[in-house]
Amino acid sequence: MSYHFGRGWAKLIPYLLLLPGLFFYFLISFGPSMATAFYSFTDATGIRGAPVRWIGFDNYREFLFMGRASLDNLDALKRTLIFSFVVTTVQFTLGLIVALIVNQKLRFSNIFRTIYFMPVILGVVIQGLMWSLFLFPIGGPVAKLLALFGLRSEFLGGQPAEAFAWVIFIQIWANLGVTMMIFIAGLQTIPSELYEAARIDGANTWQVFTNVTWPLLTPSVNTNLLLNTIGSLQAWQLFLVLLGYRNGTQVLGYLIYATGFGQTSGSVTTSFRQGYAAAASIVLFLLVLVIGMTLQQYLQRREKRILG
Amino acid sequence: MSKKLFLFLSLMVVFATLLAACASPATPAGDSAQPQATTAGGEKPAQKVTLRVLVHQNPPMVAFMETFNKQFQDRHPNITVDMSIVNANDLSTVSQTRLSANDIDVLDIFGFANGAQPYMKMVDPPNWQQLIEAGLLMDLTGQDFLQNYDEPTIKDAGSYNGKVYAVNLGRVIYSGIFYNKKLFEQYNVSVPTTWPELVAACETFKAANIPCMTAGGKDGWPIFVGAYGLLGAMYPDQAALVEGLWTGTIKWNDAKSLEMWRKMQVYARDMMEEGASGIAGDAAPGRFASGAVAMFPGGSWYAPAIEAAQPDFDWGYIPFPGSDNPEDNKYWFGKYDQGWAIAANTPNKEAALLYLKEFSEPANYQAFVDAVGFIPTQPTAKLNTKIGAEIAPYLANFRVGYEQYWVAPKGAGQYANPWASYFKPFGTFDDPQQLADKVQADLQAGLDAVK
Repeated sequence: MSYHFGRGWAKLIPYLLLLPGLFFYFLISFGPSMATAFYSFTDATGIRGAPVRWIGFDNYREFLFMGRASLDNLDALKRTLIFSFVVTTVQFTLGLIVALIVNQKLRFSNIFRTIYFMPVILGVVIQGLMWSLFLFPIGGPVAKLLALFGLRSEFLGGQPAEAFAWVIFIQIWANLGVTMMIFIAGLQTIPSELYEAARIDGANTWQVFTNVTWPLLTPSVNTNLLLNTIGSLQAWQLFLVLLGYRNGTQVLGYLIYATGFGQTSGSVTTSFRQGYAAAASIVLFLLVLVIGMTLQQYLQRREKRILG
Repeated sequence: MSKKLFLFLSLMVVFATLLAACASPATPAGDSAQPQATTAGGEKPAQKVTLRVLVHQNPPMVAFMETFNKQFQDRHPNITVDMSIVNANDLSTVSQTRLSANDIDVLDIFGFANGAQPYMKMVDPPNWQQLIEAGLLMDLTGQDFLQNYDEPTIKDAGSYNGKVYAVNLGRVIYSGIFYNKKLFEQYNVSVPTTWPELVAACETFKAANIPCMTAGGKDGWPIFVGAYGLLGAMYPDQAALVEGLWTGTIKWNDAKSLEMWRKMQVYARDMMEEGASGIAGDAAPGRFASGAVAMFPGGSWYAPAIEAAQPDFDWGYIPFPGSDNPEDNKYWFGKYDQGWAIAANTPNKEAALLYLKEFSEPANYQAFVDAVGFIPTQPTAKLNTKIGAEIAPYLANFRVGYEQYWVAPKGAGQYANPWASYFKPFGTFDDPQQLADKVQADLQAGLDAVK
């Protein structure tokens, strides 16, 4: 294979071109991550000029083992896992079904693709405000619809389990477009000859899907599963916009935000506890790391087995 | 393109990018970094200045500030006021980040509260104290304009270790109920002064298919803050209540507290209208002003919003009658609300002090309290507003409320609060005894953890 950048010191060009990207990676991502790990062992407040003292594992001890608050944190951890599992499963399945439908050579399929993708570009705040209006329990559109069947709901203001379920629904609605697009990209890489050959061999629709589409979609499946899992484990913005700080609904990501930035209920003045929030962030990071790595290992083995 | 030229261009791109990334950020406040002529006695600065001001979202206050800023700029053409508005919940976060970034000159700060008391263990200092100890708030001690405010305000709501760091602009009440005078007259309901009368009033309205109460349940806090009058009626000395909870002499599941929980359940379950949990905090005054609901438990700060929504709507404001004894229901509980502080490192010190000085002039301050409906903290100011007239009969009985004293012990569970919103339909509990035990257990877990 010929080397595009020539010989001698010109070989350094690709590495030099990587430098800006690496610089920003260290500046924006790696550096703050390392700083977070460091701050998790301190009583940092995030206030410039305030002393920062090394307190060892105190933040972790408080987060994981201190009083009833630690059990509430573990409840949030459990809720995060439930949220991630349901969102990933449903979003993945729906995304695949929608991609299979809009990938057909049908009239208006491009319009439908655009409609399904549109929520992605709205941004979390707009998504949240829009659904808050849709789900307004006194005379809102969905409330009126339910009233036709003699039903009523408090929606986002209802019982924690109900409110939580609505956030799951909105999270899926908001991100379905991305999952769909990745699947569509994967579907379009599958050569049409394979479908023709399968049909000639007498395969029915289900057999074509299981023997041609599904195996060859493996890279898209892997990408979607990883993105959906990691994204949903870290989700918190919709909880902030839709529910605020409510008992029984917090996920770990939101708990971190609320603690680190002194989110208050009522008019209680809280403290800035960024060291403690950093420890909670590291717990979330480890959770994402373990689940992400395990999933990636499994998906890589699966890809190797199927595609060779 | 030759390889050498390509190489040269590539290197230029790399270095240009790196240099751009390392460059100093643009001066955020435009002209603010320019040196100012030193002036004595708060005279207008000679140089062009952009004064960065941060306030929290409160529509009548923001409207007033826009007018005041325009007037201030007209009087001082060299000063441009750049005002930012943030949600009240985000004020402390934004204050912290902008103070740390030296990106603010004058900031809105709530009255100092929730300080650690001698009987508390292992509690962190409140955020205002953290900001002072980090040297981010300017010492205002000795400034002439402080003399316009009453002494308790300066001492209780803006001082720390004998120095003044904030000037508080008004007290608000959060333990009252707005009521719809027309509906009360129409259904021949007298204004309730006791808990049984309040229950009876609600039953009358509900029998007529009129929702008894509304509140901004979507934001959570308006539901439990709305019932703080009930808490106050049961425990009038709220500082003593907090000390009792910390030292174990008062428990959330003792007989007296259980009575409070029973009443709170009635409030949440029977008095609040269906769907209140979906109403946002800032939409609730409009809902009440529409005339569809008989009562609205909420803070006095809602009065301007009610008036703005329906100027002709006739309403009154009474202390929450949480006790069976009318004498217990004559107290207002509340807090010190908005105040001003100046960033210690501001490059626009003279302009910032001038801003506070002019704001504190009695005429400007009077216009401010008239606009926002605060209980004045300047002794010469008058309660000219409708809400002022409603508050006046019990103003001598104003007390700082529970929320301004309470600091949760580390390790306490998320239910360790006297919140009516734990009850259905807002929360998950429908048994007062069960909830009382849960609240006390969550509090006790924290008290045990910090022993």
